[in-house]
Amino acid sequence: MRAVLAGLGVGLISLGSPVAADEAPIAGTVKAVDMAARTLTLRTSAGGKTREVVVHLGPGVRIVRFVRAGEPGKGGFVEQPLALTDLRAGWVVSVEARHEGHREVAERVTVVIER
Amino acid sequence: MSPHVRVALVAATSALAMLVLWGPSPPSSRANGERDEETGGHAHVPAPLEYADAHVPPSVWTDPAMIARGREIYTARCAVCHGDSGDGRGPAGQALPLKPPDFRDRAGVAEMRDNYWFWRVSEGGQVEPFKGRGSAMPPWKGELSVEDRWAVMAYQHTFSGHDGPHVPWEHPESVAVGRDIYAMACLACHGADGRGDGSVGPMLSPRRAPQPRDFTGAEFKFRSTPSGQLPTTADLFRTVTEGIRSPGGPMTIGLHGHRIMPAFRHMPEEQRLEVVEYVKSLNRGFWDRTGVRSVVVPPPPPATAERLARGRQLYADAECLACHGAGGRGDGPSAPTLRDSRGLPIAATDLTRPERFKNGRRPDDVYRTLMTGLAGTPMPSYADALDPDQAWDLVHFVLSLSDARRAADGHTTPAPPGEGGSR
Repeated sequence: MRAVLAGLGVGLISLGSPVAADEAPIAGTVKAVDMAARTLTLRTSAGGKTREVVVHLGPGVRIVRFVRAGEPGKGGFVEQPLALTDLRAGWVVSVEARHEGHREVAERVTVVIER
Repeated sequence: MSPHVRVALVAATSALAMLVLWGPSPPSSRANGERDEETGGHAHVPAPLEYADAHVPPSVWTDPAMIARGREIYTARCAVCHGDSGDGRGPAGQALPLKPPDFRDRAGVAEMRDNYWFWRVSEGGQVEPFKGRGSAMPPWKGELSVEDRWAVMAYQHTFSGHDGPHVPWEHPESVAVGRDIYAMACLACHGADGRGDGSVGPMLSPRRAPQPRDFTGAEFKFRSTPSGQLPTTADLFRTVTEGIRSPGGPMTIGLHGHRIMPAFRHMPEEQRLEVVEYVKSLNRGFWDRTGVRSVVVPPPPPATAERLARGRQLYADAECLACHGAGGRGDGPSAPTLRDSRGLPIAATDLTRPERFKNGRRPDDVYRTLMTGLAGTPMPSYADALDPDQAWDLVHFVLSLSDARRAADGHTTPAPPGEGGSR
């Protein structure tokens, strides 16, 4: 009996483990870009609340947008790399990030809307 | 192998299987987005009242010029997230926690009402419930004209494969929730087809007005729109919420505070909006009108003695007393001869009892009644006869009649809340 309970316990523990907990992207509007600190402040919403998230940009971060391969409005989309200095407040971005302590460290920033 | 080892192996295998199954579907993010919202975050909730009348003219959906115009805008501004084929798999959209919908989903598109769709394109993810779900959809109302937004919707609609107009009579599923509520709460009086011919309705007021509304016709009594026009969605919502007061009929004798139509204020707001959308679907006139204009109710001036005196004079000049009587008790010389548009006898309202005013007893309600009239009844609109200041004078006088009645009946205190009075 103890062994059965132990087995169930192992299963339940594994069910609650935080594997891959940080994989969902963070989408929001860029509120500020701090070149010196290499951070983006995003205004994002979740669970009925709006809050600001500071995302740190490591040296390996990839910032991209999608543009038409052919003439404007035609052809498929291709990825175009951007520099941190290209990002503007008001743009909508989606960030794939990982936890590092209490920080969100971006691995990839995708520009969704430029406005 | 011992039993203990077997159990441990089973447990370990179970845990491993869970991890494998869990891998492609990670749990919720800490910042925004929830896993189930990737498919369920596009709930087709009713459009709010400020967008509820924003119906798209049916011809837009099949107009080749509008579709072409929409394609141009969509390709330049929307496809990066929604995909060139409308499948919701544009490259930027794939990076979002709440994925764009698939416009090829015929059933999903059919459930979307046009005013909901217009609201979503206009406000994007900046409004609830989508804001709280982490939608990154931008609002387009500042960049695209109304016609441009219609054009984009018309083009998006082509992805669904439906080649007719996107209207409720083509997509009954878009008003299915409201239809079910209607069947339970409204059908007995208003009838299966909304023609006001339900079996219970006539019993409330046999062979007399008022009778249940025919939603398929052009006459709606309680409106904020000018005479001869259909009501706004907010007007219908107000009527559903507050019901319609009445002196009562044979089935309701003695019931205090009787309403000939019940107030549904305890029904959840979303359900009231759903049933109103269903009621509108019974009348294509709500889609055929261009622009919806409401009578503006200016702030009420104070009810001074001078205004009451002017209101009394207007009451006589406008011949209100012919029906409502000199004392406002609904006993004017014309009262016995009044009939509604169905030819049924109709009583002149007793103005000394504001608690029975069918269109509401608040000063704003009385002002609106004066300026819009009550379609289908002998009560006309005075919008062309009275300026707003005069209308307020008359409103103040009408609402003072209940105080006069109470004084005549020997009461020395103002009417309590809910029983009339000029306050």
